[in-house]
Amino acid sequence: MEPDEKNGTPERLLDRLRKSWFPPAAVLAAMAGIVAAAYRGYTGPQPPLEKPETPPAPEPAAEKEAEQPPVPLELHYARTAVIGGRDSLHPFRRTLLGVAVGSGDRIHALGDGEVRIFEAGGSFVRAWQVVSDVTCLGTAPDGRIVVGAPGRIEIYDEAGRHLGGFAAGEKDKPAAVTEVRVFGGEVLVADAAARIIRRYDTSGKQLGAIGTRTKTGNFILPNKWLDFDVDARGVVRATDTGRHQVSAWGLDGEPLGSFGKFGMRNAEDFVGCCNPVNLAIAPDGRIVTGEKMVARVKVYEPEGRLLALIGPENFDPNCIHIHLAVDSKGRILAADPVRREVLVFSRVAKDEDSKQ
Amino acid sequence: MKWRMTSPRSPFLRSRRFWLLFLVFAALSSSLLFAQYQKSPPDFGDSYSFPSPTHPEPRSALVRSLDIVLLAAALGTGTWLILKRRSRNGVLMLSIASLAYFGFYRKGCICPIGSIQNVTLSLVDSHYIVSLSVIAFFFLPLVTALLFGRIFCGAVCPLGAIQDLVLLRPKKVPEKLDRALSWLPYVYLGLAVLFAGWGLNLALGSLEIQVGRRFLICEWDPFVGIFRVAGPFHMMAIGAGFILLGMFYGRPYCRWLCPYGGLLAILSRFAWKNVQITPDKELDCGLCADACPYGAIHDLRADRADCLACARCYEYCPRELELSGGGRADEELVQVKP
Amino acid sequence: MSEKSTRRQFIDRSVRVVGFAGIAGAAGLLASRVSGDAVYQVDPFKCTTCDLCRTACVLSLSAVKAVNDFPKCGYCMLCPAYMDVTSQPDEKGIPAGKICPQDALKRKIVGDVDEEDPNNNYYEYYVDEAKCDGCGKCVKACLPPAGNGSLRLEIRYTYCVECNECAIRLVCPDDAIVRIPTPGFPPAGSHGEVEND
Repeated sequence: MEPDEKNGTPERLLDRLRKSWFPPAAVLAAMAGIVAAAYRGYTGPQPPLEKPETPPAPEPAAEKEAEQPPVPLELHYARTAVIGGRDSLHPFRRTLLGVAVGSGDRIHALGDGEVRIFEAGGSFVRAWQVVSDVTCLGTAPDGRIVVGAPGRIEIYDEAGRHLGGFAAGEKDKPAAVTEVRVFGGEVLVADAAARIIRRYDTSGKQLGAIGTRTKTGNFILPNKWLDFDVDARGVVRATDTGRHQVSAWGLDGEPLGSFGKFGMRNAEDFVGCCNPVNLAIAPDGRIVTGEKMVARVKVYEPEGRLLALIGPENFDPNCIHIHLAVDSKGRILAADPVRREVLVFSRVAKDEDSKQ
Repeated sequence: MKWRMTSPRSPFLRSRRFWLLFLVFAALSSSLLFAQYQKSPPDFGDSYSFPSPTHPEPRSALVRSLDIVLLAAALGTGTWLILKRRSRNGVLMLSIASLAYFGFYRKGCICPIGSIQNVTLSLVDSHYIVSLSVIAFFFLPLVTALLFGRIFCGAVCPLGAIQDLVLLRPKKVPEKLDRALSWLPYVYLGLAVLFAGWGLNLALGSLEIQVGRRFLICEWDPFVGIFRVAGPFHMMAIGAGFILLGMFYGRPYCRWLCPYGGLLAILSRFAWKNVQITPDKELDCGLCADACPYGAIHDLRADRADCLACARCYEYCPRELELSGGGRADEELVQVKP
Repeated sequence: MSEKSTRRQFIDRSVRVVGFAGIAGAAGLLASRVSGDAVYQVDPFKCTTCDLCRTACVLSLSAVKAVNDFPKCGYCMLCPAYMDVTSQPDEKGIPAGKICPQDALKRKIVGDVDEEDPNNNYYEYYVDEAKCDGCGKCVKACLPPAGNGSLRLEIRYTYCVECNECAIRLVCPDDAIVRIPTPGFPPAGSHGEVEND
């Protein structure tokens, strides 16, 4: 190797650098910079940053006060029976998906791949197998029982004989059937995929749709579940969970108003992302709603005044649904799908406590 | 029912297919978890299509094995440069390349120093399985040390390279102090092995120490924070401290703390071939000993255990220069008569 | 002198032979257990969003990030993971506080837009990974029954430096950092099991 060439090699370069004070100063500065950057940038042991844009929290005492219903509620309910519980003769072992009231106030419950029928008093009558994948059931005044499954509706008679069925939804978009009701010879099917309620006749011909005439596209269902009921006059009330509303519709699809709003503090408001999740209409026209996040059932006047509250102490806190039905005597049947039991709530006088 | 299920210990859950499915189609597994839910996603009309959740893939096994190949290649090249080619410049270039790849690009992971702990834990606990990279990174430099000395320290280790580069004002350390400090790596090694394999559970009267298994070396590594340009403050501060110290005293971490260096020092004592300072005859000039910033030249011989194979001594050896085609331009080789 | 050096050479050679044998044995033992290279990932079945992912990662901004699973997401206006539903509502009745301390969960309106009433809109939620520190507050808030459980914590390999030993795994109280096989590796029986039974 030539001497000149060697002078330019990295080691010689470093050697020459070593003779000046610049490199040590540079290393010092770099180290100081790195340590400073590490001190600033390291988020580990430091507490997280303050929450952005959080207004001052209200006084805890005031908050607690606000959570109490401002006016004493008019009606009171108490749990009077449990059907299909763990210790009963006919427990639901795997699933409990819905509850409905049939003729003679018989309680129909859907679970474990069966429809189970109980007398109004709770004694077991019979059960039969239904198609797999069932999601919901409804009863007709004539005793027929309609069961919904993804993209399918099946109709049975009271003894469990399969009378027929039809496909629900469009060909490429089968309906996500979450609720089914029979009204005046029509089968109304909640389709959580299309976010509408479809009207069918018993042969499966679609007669119309409810829920399309909203401001922005159908029902808003973040939890992918649509529940509804029909009252005696043919007014459909449905859960618009994303809007935190119960909305009313004519059978022709005409919007008839709504009530409800989001709120964590007042009992008449609906909590969380998407509530109410379940709904039933009592024979007297009152509306019963079921909520998740705070698992509770509430009773409203048709125009939206809160009448009664059945508190979360009755239900498993992990309930995503509380399936509801009301019988002719006004008893509320609430199916807790997590504990897999049908709770029966009856009206009691004011002095009796609803908690048991 | 609790919504969170414990994962069943089926072979399927352990299989690769499951995890691929799990990662890419997490929506599917969700339907098992949230049986109360409807499966179908919401429909926003044709104007909206779901953004697919991205799952950046880890580096493939092929790329991963490239690390092993590069390590082996670097060790081989280093051996050749130091023992055959006898080129300080070559070693310097190689260590800079190693610093760039193993240090800054791979962010100091995986490194042989830390792999001591993985190997320990794996030997102690047969359930803990180490990857091929860990095995290669732990054992390849050891094999090299048994054959050729601490080639890894001098030419490949990014932690060594960064210290070597900042050594700007080399000063000698008193030999006694040097000797005393060189026991520290074994203390550190012992602690690291203890904590990695067993943790520490002591009860001395009222004093109770309970520390689970910890990877001390990784938690207190001085330089990975610099490679990552991020890290806990204590690591960065220690790193900066070592670099400042390293400006005056050659490779303080390697000589007085590195537990892997301690292992390599033991093995290189019995190395097959080692650094020979002069190419042929000795001049007894002692220039090599002056040039060695690591105090590794005793009696004009490179001490196998302390020699970090940096090849500086070649650079300053008059015989070497003479044989390679003359000395520096501004220096002339003068034989001093005794 | 020569005798001494021969003895020295003999010792050296013997130690070398023993050393090679030891290394080969240990490496062979460990290599025989290797059946697939593995990387770390969060097992959502075990994770309880304890916040240690944020603090334990060797990176100053953790490589664990929240990830939204879009088909599972409800696109809620009142996302409990986005806004603190218990915070003081503004004049429109919408809670003003946010869950994310880093403001890393973002949203944008999808579909038809109603300017007046946000309740009529759907929102797409996504994570700004440059800000997310993996604290898991949003993941916790999205769990059922409050949310759909579409958010989860995931080790993002774009950030993960693949340490010798995952620092989070060492401290995770739920053993939720598990090893998963690297895609692309020839499939083989059971891969690295990490839990200590």
